[in-house]
Amino acid sequence: MSAITSRALGESLRTRFLGDPAVGILSLLVVAAVVMSAYEPTFATTGNVTNIVNAMVTVSFLSIGMTVVLIAGGLDLSVGSTMGLCAGVAAKLLTYGLPMPVAFLGALAAGAGIGLLNGLLITRLGIPDFIATLAMLGIAGGVLLYWTTGVPILGYMTPTYYYIGGLTRLIGPITVPMILVAVIAVGVSVLLRHTRFGVMFYAVGSSPTGALHAGVRVARVKTAAYVISGLMAAVAGIHIAGRTTTVPPLIGNGYEITAIAAAVIGGASLAGGKGRVFGALVGALTLTLTRNIINLTGVESSWQAVVTGLVLIVAITANQTWSVLSARSRARALTRTISVSRAHAPSTRREGMASEAPATQRHPETTP
Amino acid sequence: MSTTRKTAARVLGIDGVPIVTALVIVTVYFSATVPAFLDGEGLRYYLNEEVPIFIITAGLALVIIAGGIDLSIGAVLGLSAGTSLLASMHGAPVILAVLVGVGTGAAFGLLNGLVIVKLRLNDFIVTLGTLNIAAGLLVVLTDHVQITGTDDARYLAIANHSVLSVSSALVLAVLVVAVLQAVLVKSAFGRRVRASGAGASPALVAGVDAGRTKLYAYVVSGSLAGFGGVLLASRLNSVQPGMAGGYELSAIAAAVLGGVSLAGGRGAIWQAAVGGLLLATLKQGFRLTGVDPLVFSIIIGVCILVGVIVDRSVYRLALTLGSPASVSPRPEPARASGGPGR
Repeated sequence: MSAITSRALGESLRTRFLGDPAVGILSLLVVAAVVMSAYEPTFATTGNVTNIVNAMVTVSFLSIGMTVVLIAGGLDLSVGSTMGLCAGVAAKLLTYGLPMPVAFLGALAAGAGIGLLNGLLITRLGIPDFIATLAMLGIAGGVLLYWTTGVPILGYMTPTYYYIGGLTRLIGPITVPMILVAVIAVGVSVLLRHTRFGVMFYAVGSSPTGALHAGVRVARVKTAAYVISGLMAAVAGIHIAGRTTTVPPLIGNGYEITAIAAAVIGGASLAGGKGRVFGALVGALTLTLTRNIINLTGVESSWQAVVTGLVLIVAITANQTWSVLSARSRARALTRTISVSRAHAPSTRREGMASEAPATQRHPETTP
Repeated sequence: MSTTRKTAARVLGIDGVPIVTALVIVTVYFSATVPAFLDGEGLRYYLNEEVPIFIITAGLALVIIAGGIDLSIGAVLGLSAGTSLLASMHGAPVILAVLVGVGTGAAFGLLNGLVIVKLRLNDFIVTLGTLNIAAGLLVVLTDHVQITGTDDARYLAIANHSVLSVSSALVLAVLVVAVLQAVLVKSAFGRRVRASGAGASPALVAGVDAGRTKLYAYVVSGSLAGFGGVLLASRLNSVQPGMAGGYELSAIAAAVLGGVSLAGGRGAIWQAAVGGLLLATLKQGFRLTGVDPLVFSIIIGVCILVGVIVDRSVYRLALTLGSPASVSPRPEPARASGGPGR
């Protein structure tokens, strides 16, 4: 009896932890952190750790939003530009003398608006996801550039904004953005895992046709995913404007690649239907930690972009390999189940085969 | 259905008609409203400036027709300009300097193609990664500052030599487009490109190794980006980090405006080049009418969206009216989903 329970427990642990790439990556990160703190005395200092966490926060907001879009089977290339534009909206409105809540609401509205536009272009006009959001990348970036006439926005910082930017600590090492990212992560996680609405994102991403037939309003769900991503980009923009204390017009450049890489490292798949918030956080930590280690070990900072590019390709390769392997093991388990059921009911065999064959043939066409 | 609508759809359905019409309208408009627009010197200047974009647009169109997408071309162009100019500055003869530039591009094209085809990864993400790698390597190469310049007059003459009062760079760009168009239409490789882009099953029926064809298309695109980099370095005689960043957006906009279908299998190199010409004309026209150059990225973004929407609606119209031209062998996804057994 106890042998069976311990085996079942082992099985459940294996599927729960070893079956999750994010956990593997997290343990690698822990090893890297331990090695670094032994090798580099400045690594484990409070100042550096706060730095890492503060930089990670910006990426986390974006990668949570990106994960939601990826789960719904989309891809949002505009997050970097949207973040920059929203940072600009918040900063500009503050320099006009508007109160802080109004400025932040303006930024959030801008982010949600861009997300809505992305979603409508994709679902109503049938433009491919990456083309619509690539165009939006150009448009949002251009609007910020034109609006600021290429000059950084300055002079909007207030003592409160230093708190929001994470530059002034709240209690001990805790900052406002840390709390905010934790709240949002838990919120989105609960939404995705425990609500009807959240489950629809997975349904739409893994099989749009199936979801449509099941009565899910696919277009609306996908649009909602883009709106969430736009909102997250706005939150990131509000935060980064406080973190950097100026908003240069190209502030968001390249953040889309970081966000995609973080989400993919965390287990989200470009094929849709996969991903989770915890993974997005692990991905954000991986990229931030890599950058920090590059800086501390004295490698030229100019190599950062090269490393980010490499990390993205490695992550997507690992992700692909992982899904192929798990699909194979799932197929093997299925074969085992089928052979067991055949042994019990041999008469159903032919029927099962007949209904199976056309379905597998049709599959690649229905999901182009 | 009225006959005028039918005729209109027939005419619009002919490949290249929409984009050429758009170019003519825009050119006539600016010629009529902006007196300085037809000035020969100005025209030559802006066409010269756009040469690298024309060249990468041609390569990108080939990749898209083969069923892929290459986002790395802008950054690879910048990096190749850097390696080529540095080679020339260190005393390499002009042939070697050109080969270094084109070779850099070809190496990135090969890297893209191998990773995408052999590891079966998403085109778009892989080239986004190599975009970052190439852009980062240019920063490393230039060490954050502008590098300038070579004394080799022959290297500088590659792009600046005057042929019949037109710059050699422009002549080379026209040659590239013409040759690539001929390859696409006339050669066996071109047929394979169109077949493999049209979808896995038509290619399989025709006995085409779609993966290998796509790999070659990426190598061509990378090499052309390298060549565009050589022309850019030769014209400017200086290279700085971040150079040619965002060129891929212009090239995608040009290809899409030119009616190259992002689904693959459908489009022509010359139409993509005309799309590039349209963008360049819009840029020049807006510049002369005093529009802030900072809004160009907004214009390009809008052009991408308009291009895709127009292409789709024209294609659908042509499909429903049964126009003989521009009907690709690829069935529309919407029709495919209602396959057998429904």
